[in-house]
Amino acid sequence: MRALAIPRRAERLFRRNPAATLAALWLLVIVIMGLVALLSRYDPITDVHVGQAELGPGPGHWLGTDHLGRDVLKRLALACQFFVAPGMLACLVSAAIAIPAGAIAGFEGGWIEAGIRWVFTVVASVPRFVLLLLVLSIYGDRLYLLAIAAGVAYAPTLAEAVFGRIEGLRSAEYVLANRAYGVPSWRILWVHLVWAASRRLVARHLVTLFGYYLVLETTLSYIGGFGVQEPMPSWGNMLAFDWGYSAWYAPQVLAPVVVLWVTIVAIAWVAETLGGEVADA
Amino acid sequence: MSLRLVAHRLLVFAVTLMGAVGLVLLLLWLAPGDPIDLLPNGEELRPVLTQQWELDRPLPVRFVSYFGRALHGDLGTSLAYRPGTPVADVIAGPAMRSMVWLLTALVLTMVWGTWLAWASAGRPSWHRKLVQVASIAPVFLLAHVSVNGIDVLTLSLVDRGIIPRPGWFPLPSEPGVFRTALAIVLLAVGSGALAEVRAEAENALVKIRGSGYIAAARARGERLWPHVAHNLVGPLTTVASSRAAFFVGGLVILEKVLLLNGIGSILWQAAVMRDYPLALGITVVLASIVCLSRLLGDTVRLAFDPRLRAQVGR
Amino acid sequence: MPDRLEISGLTLRVRDRVLVQDASFQLRAGEVLALVGASGCGKTLTALSVLGMVDLQPGVVAADLVVQVGDEVHRPWQGVLGADQRRRDQAFAPVRGRLVGYLPQDARNSLDPLLRVGRQVRDAAALRTGNADEDPRPWLRRAGLPDPERVEQLFPHELSGGMAQRVAIAQALARGSRFLLADEPTTGLDPTVQRGILDEIRTLARDGIGVLFITHDLRILPGLADAVLVMENGCVVERTTPLELQSGELTSAPARRLVEATRRVAAGRLG
Repeated sequence: MRALAIPRRAERLFRRNPAATLAALWLLVIVIMGLVALLSRYDPITDVHVGQAELGPGPGHWLGTDHLGRDVLKRLALACQFFVAPGMLACLVSAAIAIPAGAIAGFEGGWIEAGIRWVFTVVASVPRFVLLLLVLSIYGDRLYLLAIAAGVAYAPTLAEAVFGRIEGLRSAEYVLANRAYGVPSWRILWVHLVWAASRRLVARHLVTLFGYYLVLETTLSYIGGFGVQEPMPSWGNMLAFDWGYSAWYAPQVLAPVVVLWVTIVAIAWVAETLGGEVADA
Repeated sequence: MSLRLVAHRLLVFAVTLMGAVGLVLLLLWLAPGDPIDLLPNGEELRPVLTQQWELDRPLPVRFVSYFGRALHGDLGTSLAYRPGTPVADVIAGPAMRSMVWLLTALVLTMVWGTWLAWASAGRPSWHRKLVQVASIAPVFLLAHVSVNGIDVLTLSLVDRGIIPRPGWFPLPSEPGVFRTALAIVLLAVGSGALAEVRAEAENALVKIRGSGYIAAARARGERLWPHVAHNLVGPLTTVASSRAAFFVGGLVILEKVLLLNGIGSILWQAAVMRDYPLALGITVVLASIVCLSRLLGDTVRLAFDPRLRAQVGR
Repeated sequence: MPDRLEISGLTLRVRDRVLVQDASFQLRAGEVLALVGASGCGKTLTALSVLGMVDLQPGVVAADLVVQVGDEVHRPWQGVLGADQRRRDQAFAPVRGRLVGYLPQDARNSLDPLLRVGRQVRDAAALRTGNADEDPRPWLRRAGLPDPERVEQLFPHELSGGMAQRVAIAQALARGSRFLLADEPTTGLDPTVQRGILDEIRTLARDGIGVLFITHDLRILPGLADAVLVMENGCVVERTTPLELQSGELTSAPARRLVEATRRVAAGRLG
């Protein structure tokens, strides 16, 4: 009977917020593509078929081929691997740093709070993109290093959010009641305050961070020098290719723009629906 | 406002800025490898550079001497971008330009976002969604679409004989007024800036309009807008100063994409060429801008809201 | 003719629900008229309708309101029933503040948090006289604040509940309203402070201001109100006096219910 409940619940979710449900489905597709693409052994050199360059959409190539005869749709899908897994890594790193730090700062108060918040304020004083550019320049352009650095760079925002929530609830009645019952502090903090009261807020921020990582990777790949570079595909470097004026409406040209924009909007809608405002917890 | 409050804020500003500079220095100094090896003529200059960069001194000493020199305006010497030129000289002019663009974009987004919030009160929500969808695009994407869009549009109009071929077509690839203006507008809109300002302004407006003092003023036959206006200052200042850090990052990207000659493009060059003193110096300036905007935002809010002064002054 | 505020046939709807049905009363200058009833029976909506400040849809669908002060007679609801906010604001402009004022329940939140008390009273006075430099202290003193020099420098968040209510009264006095709609101004204040505010209201009436005093607490009526309107479920059911309420010689069931409930609460208190 539980299996039948899922389609019904999904339908209710859809009715309540069709936009967000579609957005979530799209993101699911993207994430699956990104993870699957990691396992593929794509050799960009052998993918070149000069004789089939710049074909229009057709049975073999739904979005046509690019200037080197490579299938555009396949490359769009493969490009996902460069931000899906790294993006998730960034989220993991950020959560691992920011949630404990923010929660402890909010719960303990006093010097501990001041110290932790100051550290995060310091990190936040360097603009994120500038900090990440420096890291790439100094430590080299390594994909997973960028992901970890992005997670660290986003941690102040997440920590402040968690801090604000926990601090606001520190003297809430149910916390006082729990203390009076002798529930140990660590349990109050982690189970009640962090998990029960803050998880949607955290989820929203992590989704936003995932979106930020997507923007980061595509921006670097678009500009060149850092990020994913030819011949490996990235939505950024596929966008950057100069097709000339005549073909602006061709699928090869529009597809990266549309896919990137749609994914970013989808991430924003999902984050918005997750809410995490005080009323939703 | 009490001197104590101002002094406290200044202290926080100074300590935080030092922390940020320290963080970046640490990032550089803890990197594996020998920085001198990266330079083409490194070995020849090794003794000179070791002394100049104090590579043989302990880290805390190097911090202090960097700060000491920075306070005198000495941010080191560029190695690759403009070899031999002091960093401060390289970035002075472009830094001024970039700050002007930054300020202009900030003012633009605040005014535009507030106007949108005020104008859309009670309107259907697709207005909001439209602003959100347009604003959420990353700045590079907006720049790409704008530049290509303008070129394509102009070309098709020229081809159909609707307009004569303009002198500026195709969009010039050097810095110019048009590119600068476009960068400022895109910075004001993109990466969610406009949407966020609009949302915050709308929240603030809803709260203010539903408040007891507006109702009381209305019942007294008073003009409402002075009350609304000065109660908006607090929330808007908060958004503005918190957006500053994002704007700096966005400007760095836009300067590169739209080929402007500000401090952001130099940063890109420094990063690619591994000109660390230059990159570091620029980062110090950018971090100062962020900390300064925070300080200004706090000060304005304290000056306007007596409740905040009471809270802080305890 | 003496100054009067008279409303008849007030009917207020939100979508399909009728919130106030055919309410009528007359308030004269120098009189304190209490409007009592259980929470949610439409007392505040009735008061707001006198000022044209109900922003619901369709809102006030029927009302004949006459505000007469001296030689001025206003009928603000004429031609404006069911109209949008802008037209209502235009029609009620000569009435709001100038002739009819409003004392809110939460006085502290009815003051602009960013301005000092003195400035806000001065602005209210300036609306009346056109002179932006009025001295707020006499008004603060008349509202029962013994140290106006200190109070005028305070910000709203620094005021106690009772002080804030007196500042609101000072604002109303400075504004010069002939009639005041006092919406439960003593709710939430402690009994001694309450007594002070009620005395102020009584003094206002003695000075010629007509007060419509809304409350759900019957115990404060003796010594305060000249007459009592009983309201239930949006209808004005009866007009009586505090004495009649106390003595139990009542005609309407709603009034009896209110009195009985008050007695039970009081009895419980005294144990």
